[in-house]
Amino acid sequence: MSVLELKDICFSYDKTPVLKDISFEFEKGKMYCIVGKSGAGKTTLLSILSGLAAPTSGAILYNGEDIKKIDKYDFRSKYIGVIFQSFNLLTKFTALENVMLSMDIAGVKGKDKKSKAMQLLESVGLDEDEANRRILKLSGGQQQRVAIARSLSYNPDIILADEPTGNLDSETQNEIMEIFKNLAKNGKCVIIVSHSPDVAEVCDVKYELKKISGKKK
Amino acid sequence: MYIIKNALRCISRAKSRNILIGVIVFIIAVSSCIGLSIRQAAESAKEETLNSMSVTATISFDRSSAMKDFTPTEKPEQGGEGGFDRNSFKEMMGKASSLSLDEYLKYAQAHSVEDFYYSLTVYANGDDSFEPVSNDSTEQTQNGSMENMPKGMSSGKAGRIFGQDSDFTLVGYSSETAMTSFADGTASVTDGVVFSEGTENFDCIISEELAAYNDLAVGDTVNLVNPNNEEEIYTLAVVGIYIDSSANESSFSPFGSTSTDPANSIYLSYNALNSIVTSSEETNTSEDDSETAALSGNLEGTYVFADVDSYEKFEEQVRDLGLDESYTVTSSDITAFENSLTPLNTLSKTAGYFLIVILLIGAVILVVLNIFNVRERKYEIGVLTAIGMKKGKVALQFLTEIFVVTLAAIILGAGIGAVSSVPVTNALLANQIESTNTRAEQTEQNFGRGPNLMEDGTNGKAPTAPDSKGGGMGGFMDMFNPESENNYVTEISSATNLTVILQMLGIGILLTLIAGAASMLFVMRYEPLKILANRD
Repeated sequence: MSVLELKDICFSYDKTPVLKDISFEFEKGKMYCIVGKSGAGKTTLLSILSGLAAPTSGAILYNGEDIKKIDKYDFRSKYIGVIFQSFNLLTKFTALENVMLSMDIAGVKGKDKKSKAMQLLESVGLDEDEANRRILKLSGGQQQRVAIARSLSYNPDIILADEPTGNLDSETQNEIMEIFKNLAKNGKCVIIVSHSPDVAEVCDVKYELKKISGKKK
Repeated sequence: MYIIKNALRCISRAKSRNILIGVIVFIIAVSSCIGLSIRQAAESAKEETLNSMSVTATISFDRSSAMKDFTPTEKPEQGGEGGFDRNSFKEMMGKASSLSLDEYLKYAQAHSVEDFYYSLTVYANGDDSFEPVSNDSTEQTQNGSMENMPKGMSSGKAGRIFGQDSDFTLVGYSSETAMTSFADGTASVTDGVVFSEGTENFDCIISEELAAYNDLAVGDTVNLVNPNNEEEIYTLAVVGIYIDSSANESSFSPFGSTSTDPANSIYLSYNALNSIVTSSEETNTSEDDSETAALSGNLEGTYVFADVDSYEKFEEQVRDLGLDESYTVTSSDITAFENSLTPLNTLSKTAGYFLIVILLIGAVILVVLNIFNVRERKYEIGVLTAIGMKKGKVALQFLTEIFVVTLAAIILGAGIGAVSSVPVTNALLANQIESTNTRAEQTEQNFGRGPNLMEDGTNGKAPTAPDSKGGGMGGFMDMFNPESENNYVTEISSATNLTVILQMLGIGILLTLIAGAASMLFVMRYEPLKILANRD
């Protein structure tokens, strides 16, 4: 069963159609890549998938339920983990604080939040010293790892990543992709929006967006 | 809970911004605390004094009201007899000028009255062997204008009524309570004893000065003469000699008579003096009462109340008991007390305006600062809402941050304000009193009285003559300077109390809400997608 399903999604911006009749399905345990040229509507689709924008028409089903019925803040904070292209981390906070804040927002209970957050950061390759540094004192690759850890902090079913390797060197890029593969192996549905053919290569399923249309390959 | 933690974290991570907000709130807090403390001090001074004050009141004829109610007859051209009807007015004033003892006693039955006493004042002359204390200028005035006239006869009835040219003021007291200057310690008997309460014997006490002037001692007698009938003589026995320290301050007017000099006051019991008046009326009975030469007395009743509330109820009660609207209830205690608070009240009023201005300016600055703050943190708002934090919670976090900073600054400001409020208030009060006195002095100078009387820098108060027992010019000055006898509240001992602290807390919450409301509006307007897209 699809964990996430797009049904005839259309989106217009200032009466200009950006997406038309997009119907994609996403399942747990698989890596998906949404590719397309600039202006094809990749970022718009990502915004719709993450609940930051609402489609003009069509429906998004999460575990078969229309997400309109789910509070959009709850959807973003509990059901889907988003890794933004520019990471969107709180720069005055440390890596650990960023992850813990995300857990707080999601309503994660328990006294061992700090150790869980630390474990997550370690699982994406950050040590304790790096975890306690403020974001601006971390490299781009480290920030990307923090963003991944944050998206996993409340254990969502779906991980949505926007150009996760765009600003990284090839070595780091490989390491990050390895993390995503592992996540998919562990039953997560990983959706990557990218224009990189290398990223598309390692994904299980590739969706290509063309202007005003989308089709499964 | 995480909102508070996050707010505290944000405060600690943005020190300069929060220090700036804190300094502004601190300045507002110190100013507000001093302003509120001044207002509280004025209120407290008023309340405490009023609660502890025993209030006395008198019932007197309301002349100004009578003048308003008196309708002049129509002018001749309008068919009337013409203008102001003096005879009718005199008749009205004659009938209503004073309450009788029975009426005074009737109103003393009012529930709120705690005690009642009364006194009778009569003016009389002495015979050749008993002369009033006098000074040269008075002698000249009297001798110059009245040398060919018998003493006390120069102004006929006016002299009898107002004592303008009599030698002595005889005061008959109903009880020892009525002798307030003795009760409060300003006067005391230095030789002999005071006359027995309620006695009908013609026993009296005289001032030390008068005794020395006439070489009198306890056990001697003095003869008093009716100013309008030289053959009518009353002999009083001197049973005591007193000294009155208040006489040093209440001085003698060279333009009045010697009888107004405190040294020439003779005290006796009401019953004794009343029997003198009754006897005089019998002696001088004539067919035409208005032309009688009998001694007449001025009866004054004083009602004592436990507190101000009782005094305030009194008027309603005496109206129920039948007091005419042409009479008014007044309390010199309350008036004097209110006058004493004038500088503090003026300061309190100014502090109130200052407080409003400070709060308005402070609120505007805080609102502007918070708008800048929110705009500066737009990205943070975008991130928080993008990862699922509800806008309301983001706004609440911002509000918490402002509240924490404001509260800390308010507590610090209130502490500093509380410590400095007393000296600051006292310094401002001193300035206010000086300003009030300077205005009074200026007024005196405008009337041409200032330079001669205020060379010693007494701020408008008439100086008391060194031998003030013998008189001076203060009494005259006081007629024109109603504030000269005011004992202004010159300092306060404490100002900041729980009320002020609660008001400060209220101000803190108010400022937080005003400043927070502005930032909340911005937070609620922001859309994460737009913020993050613009940043990308």
